[in-house]
Amino acid sequence: MKNSFDEKILDEAKDWIKANQKVVLATVIQTWGSSPRQVGSRMIVNEKGDFSGSVSGGCVESAVVSECLSLIKDNKPCKKIEFKVSNESAWEVGLACGGEIAVYIEQIH
Amino acid sequence: MKIKTLEEILKKKSSKTEFAILTNLENGDSEIYLPGTSPKGEFSKYAVEIENFFKSKKNGVIENSEIFVETYIKPIKVIIVGAVHIAQYLVDFAKSLNFEISIIDPRGYFASEQRFPEIKVINKWPKEAFEEIETNSSTALIALTHDPKIDDPALQYALKNKFYYIGALGSKKTHENRCQRLAEAGFTNDEINSIHGPIGIKLGGKSAPEIALSIIAQLVSETYKK
Repeated sequence: MKNSFDEKILDEAKDWIKANQKVVLATVIQTWGSSPRQVGSRMIVNEKGDFSGSVSGGCVESAVVSECLSLIKDNKPCKKIEFKVSNESAWEVGLACGGEIAVYIEQIH
Repeated sequence: MKIKTLEEILKKKSSKTEFAILTNLENGDSEIYLPGTSPKGEFSKYAVEIENFFKSKKNGVIENSEIFVETYIKPIKVIIVGAVHIAQYLVDFAKSLNFEISIIDPRGYFASEQRFPEIKVINKWPKEAFEEIETNSSTALIALTHDPKIDDPALQYALKNKFYYIGALGSKKTHENRCQRLAEAGFTNDEINSIHGPIGIKLGGKSAPEIALSIIAQLVSETYKK
């Protein structure tokens, strides 16, 4: 309700780290138009590509997972990614709802 | 984010402290901020903007900057009177909805910790129990015993202290009688009508989890009207 205390994702992130996994945290930092998840929504991804939580209604999660895996592979600390209205003819990953979101991904180290 | 920062966040969350996470999106630096203090280092020039995010209970990127602010505010307090079966399901729903639940029930055999793990259960009559809970106009009351001896003092307390949501379980007839007792106790019609009774939105279900769902749905809806 009205804030992020409900998110259990950070607790889960801690558990993953305890289990010696590399964890990337993805956070919705900006939205424009209609977007399914509000600013502050979170998702975590490990080096195997397992993920928990969400940053959209399932529209861009797979793209976020691959961006997180690249971040781990290239050993970069963070990156900002923007997703726009989907382009159906190109079969790109995008938001079918017509909104735009910016997602910030960062390694927990 | 550093593991140390993550651990600090989890600690603050479990102790229900209000705070914000400040992140520099360019270099990944993050910092925990406590309201009313001065932000440290690179974040110090955004003190006003950060405090404004806090006041408006919002998260976002500070305009013309690469600073992301995420605020964590206290959960809404919900007091349940009656450690009954429905309360057990309410507790389950509340966990994922950021409500902080306390349960009052003077009947020891109901109010056991075993039935409500990790929940504050006060095994006292409402009048004494309220001395142990800090309440204000952002508190909600759910009365579930439909026993006037237990529910009525709690309802009176909630009305006097202007809780934003007050609901009472019981049939239409039970509720009519309850309203009459409250009128006799000197409460105005407006006050009495502010009680949601019979409690919950109409879903049609009669089982304990279904009633809990209808109550929690009404509570969420009323919370967004605040």
